Amino acid sequence: MIRDFLVWLQNDLGKGVGDTAQSWSEALLGSLNLWSLLEGTHLLTLMLFAGTIFVVDLRLLGVTFRRTPISVVSDRVLPLTVAGFALMVATGSALFFAKPLFYYHNIWFRAKLIFLAAAMINITVFHLRAQRNRLAWDAAPTPPLTTRTMAALSLLSWLAVIILGRFMAYDWLECGKPIPHWANVMQACKASEKGAVERLPLTKLQVRAS
Amino acid sequence: MKITFELLFPTIRPWVEHLDRVWPAYIVKPQFASWEVLHILSLVILGGTSILMNLRLAGVGLKEEPPSEIYRNLRRWQDLGVIGIIVSGGLIGMANAERLYDSTAFVVKMICLAAGVILTYGASRPIARADGAVSRRDMFFLAAGSGLWLVGLWIFATGVLINPGLFHLLTAAALMVALIARGRLRQIFLVGLAAWIATQLYVTHVVVSPDDLARLDPVNKALAGVLAAWILGGAVTQATMSNPEDQTDRWAKMAGYVSILVWVSAAAAGRWIAFA
Repeated sequence: MIRDFLVWLQNDLGKGVGDTAQSWSEALLGSLNLWSLLEGTHLLTLMLFAGTIFVVDLRLLGVTFRRTPISVVSDRVLPLTVAGFALMVATGSALFFAKPLFYYHNIWFRAKLIFLAAAMINITVFHLRAQRNRLAWDAAPTPPLTTRTMAALSLLSWLAVIILGRFMAYDWLECGKPIPHWANVMQACKASEKGAVERLPLTKLQVRAS
Repeated sequence: MKITFELLFPTIRPWVEHLDRVWPAYIVKPQFASWEVLHILSLVILGGTSILMNLRLAGVGLKEEPPSEIYRNLRRWQDLGVIGIIVSGGLIGMANAERLYDSTAFVVKMICLAAGVILTYGASRPIARADGAVSRRDMFFLAAGSGLWLVGLWIFATGVLINPGLFHLLTAAALMVALIARGRLRQIFLVGLAAWIATQLYVTHVVVSPDDLARLDPVNKALAGVLAAWILGGAVTQATMSNPEDQTDRWAKMAGYVSILVWVSAAAAGRWIAFA
């Protein structure tokens, strides 16, 4: 069902009449500069979003700004992080809109979404639970273990999101190529236009030859 | 004229062509993506530390702490970011040397990288360490770094196919002015920006047909020039306006603006290597 929706999104939405008519998705992908500007902005916004959340997480770990209350760092830096995140989501959604089926069948994109969800859950839990008694440790150079653990999880989640985001550009595990069975299953290659091609395990003779 | 390293140093082509077969390039090449990730992570660290340190110089951000405290906490991380982009950039550059040799965007990136190092280590950090006081030495490096940056911007603006990348810089600069400006100035600035966006849409969709690329090109350039002038005007007005709550030196504010934008320029040019 999701795939059917994405097929409509990519091929039909906004399509006019005539042989050369393009859907909005195709027009965006084929645009002279807009797609490149969106992609560039998505990457550059990392400097604002990930760069500032990294500083906040380091404070929560007790590594930087140990003499500055956590509330001061959060209140001053997090608005920048949120602005960066809003820009990333806006540009990321537009990039997804330009190639929805490519991303749907991309294992790195699927893994990225999982880590993105993990990071969001971590933020929610932090604000609902760990922050409840913040006044007690707001000015402490080293926050409690729970807070530090959540900060470390946040850093690792965003690190994974960035790494997987970059790997999406590479075709190591692309559908239609001979790839391991698990990769075909994980990105639903069978349903894709390029289909699923299984990479057979090497025979002993091939292993020796390689 | 397409300005590339091939144009500047035509005799080194055989050496460039050989670079990807030299250690450590032949090790890096098969793991190119991993080294690219390292480059991006370094950029993230450099971006975050530069934004916070320089926004403080420009008068916003962590205002509860003096600039020297921001500097003290972030300088080692910023060093890590700068070393990271240079080392990872050098390695992925070696593995991809021929393409970079023919790229105008790469020339812009290298010029902005040099300007960024000069501005960061020669102006922004010494000014932050001195809590916003600007010495003659800082002024010298601010002028030298800014001059070099402007050379890079000129090549960026005149480079065929890469000049749309300047919109990254204009967007970042507009966001900075909108964030830093206060009161009436911010309102006027935002109204002007909205008017510019409306004019851009009207002119490039109604007055000139979106398919008429020959006529669109000069129109887009003229509109980009107007936008750049508006942003520059906003930044200069903000930096030179007297504000009883903010006694930071006007040159410290300008150093803050320029030291963020120079890294944005380097990153934008780096991204446009892949597009043109």
